[in-house]
Amino acid sequence: MRSSWKRCAARDTCFVPLPRLVRTASFRLAALYAIGFAACVLLLGAAAFWSTRSALEKQLTRRVEAEMMLLEQEFRASGIDRLIATVQQRTRVRGNLDYFVADPAGKRLAGDLPVISDRLGWVAYDSGEAAGEKQSGESERVLVLIKQLDGGFRLGVGEDLEQVGEMEDTFLGILVPALGIVLVLGIGGGLLLSAAFLRRVDMITRTADAIIDGDLSRRIERTGSGDDFDHLSATLNVMLDRIVGLMENLRQVSNDIAHDLRTPLSRLRQDLEEAQKRELTAPELKRVIEGAVAEADVLLETFSALLRIAQIEAGIRRSAFRAVDLSDVLRTVAEAYVPAVEESGRSLRTDIADGVQADGDRGLLSQLFVNLVENALRHTPAGTTITLRLSRQPAGALAEVADTGTGIPADERAKVFRRFYRLERSRTTPGSGLGLSTVAAIVELHHAAIELLDNAPGLRVVIRFPARA
Amino acid sequence: MKVLLIEDDVKTAAYVKRGLEEHGHVVDSAGNGRDGLFLAAGEGYDVMIVDRMLPGLDGLGIVKAARAAGVTTPVLFLTTMGGIEDRVEGLEVGDDYLVKPFAFAELMARINALARRPAIAQVPTVLRVADLEMDLIGRKVRRAGREIELQPREFRLLEYLMRNAGRVLTRTMLLEHVWEFHFEPRTNIVETHISRLRAKIDRGFDAELLETVRGSGYLLRAPT
Repeated sequence: MRSSWKRCAARDTCFVPLPRLVRTASFRLAALYAIGFAACVLLLGAAAFWSTRSALEKQLTRRVEAEMMLLEQEFRASGIDRLIATVQQRTRVRGNLDYFVADPAGKRLAGDLPVISDRLGWVAYDSGEAAGEKQSGESERVLVLIKQLDGGFRLGVGEDLEQVGEMEDTFLGILVPALGIVLVLGIGGGLLLSAAFLRRVDMITRTADAIIDGDLSRRIERTGSGDDFDHLSATLNVMLDRIVGLMENLRQVSNDIAHDLRTPLSRLRQDLEEAQKRELTAPELKRVIEGAVAEADVLLETFSALLRIAQIEAGIRRSAFRAVDLSDVLRTVAEAYVPAVEESGRSLRTDIADGVQADGDRGLLSQLFVNLVENALRHTPAGTTITLRLSRQPAGALAEVADTGTGIPADERAKVFRRFYRLERSRTTPGSGLGLSTVAAIVELHHAAIELLDNAPGLRVVIRFPARA
Repeated sequence: MKVLLIEDDVKTAAYVKRGLEEHGHVVDSAGNGRDGLFLAAGEGYDVMIVDRMLPGLDGLGIVKAARAAGVTTPVLFLTTMGGIEDRVEGLEVGDDYLVKPFAFAELMARINALARRPAIAQVPTVLRVADLEMDLIGRKVRRAGREIELQPREFRLLEYLMRNAGRVLTRTMLLEHVWEFHFEPRTNIVETHISRLRAKIDRGFDAELLETVRGSGYLLRAPT
């Protein structure tokens, strides 16, 4: 099975070995259909055959009966000699009916049929019985009507069944090839059909095989015909893109985790080594241990943030959501940060409408805005103004955290939501690079939409909450 | 203070036990739920520290069983489960909740606050610490007779400190009680608020009431 796929892969047009073709579902269907069709043809043929044959036979018997009547009348009117003469005359002409006239002793007086003396009515002769008597000797069966005449004479009028046989031969001569053609066409069509199907299925199988073997970039070729297979291929390709995207994301995250945690871990190790090796005075030792604890805290904090994102992404039950007073959340956050913002030489302004609500988790929504404000606080120069806005829109609540700092270059805006992603110029500021990933996860959980816009200058983060259910 | 520790992780149990004993507390510890429940029902403890994940009977189950048996000892849950739902569930049954890993100072501060929580909540209308006075009904604060203007959140912060006067309150406890932030912001917002509050209640007076306890938290107390 597998080898045949490989062979297919090597060629432009796919070569499908016959046994496999025969096993395909489409072939089986086509074959079944062909057989069913052939059975119908056979039934129809048989019906036609039987009705034609009985019509023909009826016609023959009528002819024989008419002839018998004629000869009987002649016998009654003119006697046996006249009958003998007539029969002799008729026998001489080829292609006519066959006859015999016999005397009461069973001796044939005229005609070419062998005499049958023990039976009356319709009698079928086998060719063998008549063989010697017939000139041609070819006819197989003869159907004879035998009647007893006055004076003990017998008259037999027979019809050669050659015609019926001919008809049978002709009929079978047509029906058998027709059946053959039906079967060949049906099964051949089935083969063609399944070969076409198989080629498409094989394209999908080959792509799947290539992906299993590690080539994740492979996609199913599309013929552009817009048929079912094209649709299926397109859907599968989209699915593959999505899976690859997720895998990339996962790979990126694990790489980043490994990379980002190496630094604090190695610093922790250095601190511990220092504490272990050197002869340290008590204050020195205390400093080294404090350093180690600080590094461990960084690690724990990063892990907590990662776990938190994972928990949020796993989706705490949305059924636990309730109406949250966003106005109050934003005011609390603003109030909490005013002193810190002002002490850092920046300013915090608010423009918050009253009583704006959204469905959600208050704790997470607080964290969402805290993270955004902290981002603005940490990644802007002194003198920056940070503005928190909240308004009620027809489509739902609209929240905004804007700053007049340096902003984020347009091409990096999508990337900042990635775990551990740091802008080049922010590499030196402390932080886990998880703040905006957490924001993205919370936004997603609340079915909200987040946009990073240019505040000219600075960054404007806009979050649109859906209208309350 | 007499503390019951129900914790199956030997290392954590030893760490907590040693720490508490160094502070002069008496600690009984149990490594599983059944022993823990037995001790809790028999002895009179001031505080119970219960791990949420235990072999056999889990932490929530123990506390529910103990409560059903009439044990009213305040409970602090320890857990590695930091999920929001877990926390809510824990607080419904217990009195406080601490997520591992934790600093020892945090644990100390929390069990001190728990143990001294009055059994029946009295409803004081005026809180006093030395010459600092808070009128909870009139929402006014005076020190040495002079009125001090506080913003609503500062009022809440001071109220929490005054209600727990003499006890260390950690940054996390303040974040949870005053701002309802159940997470740790990177910026030390507590510090900035404390320093503003300190400027209002301590500056210009003889004695400083609001102390910073390095590495632990903050403490409001009458000078000795």
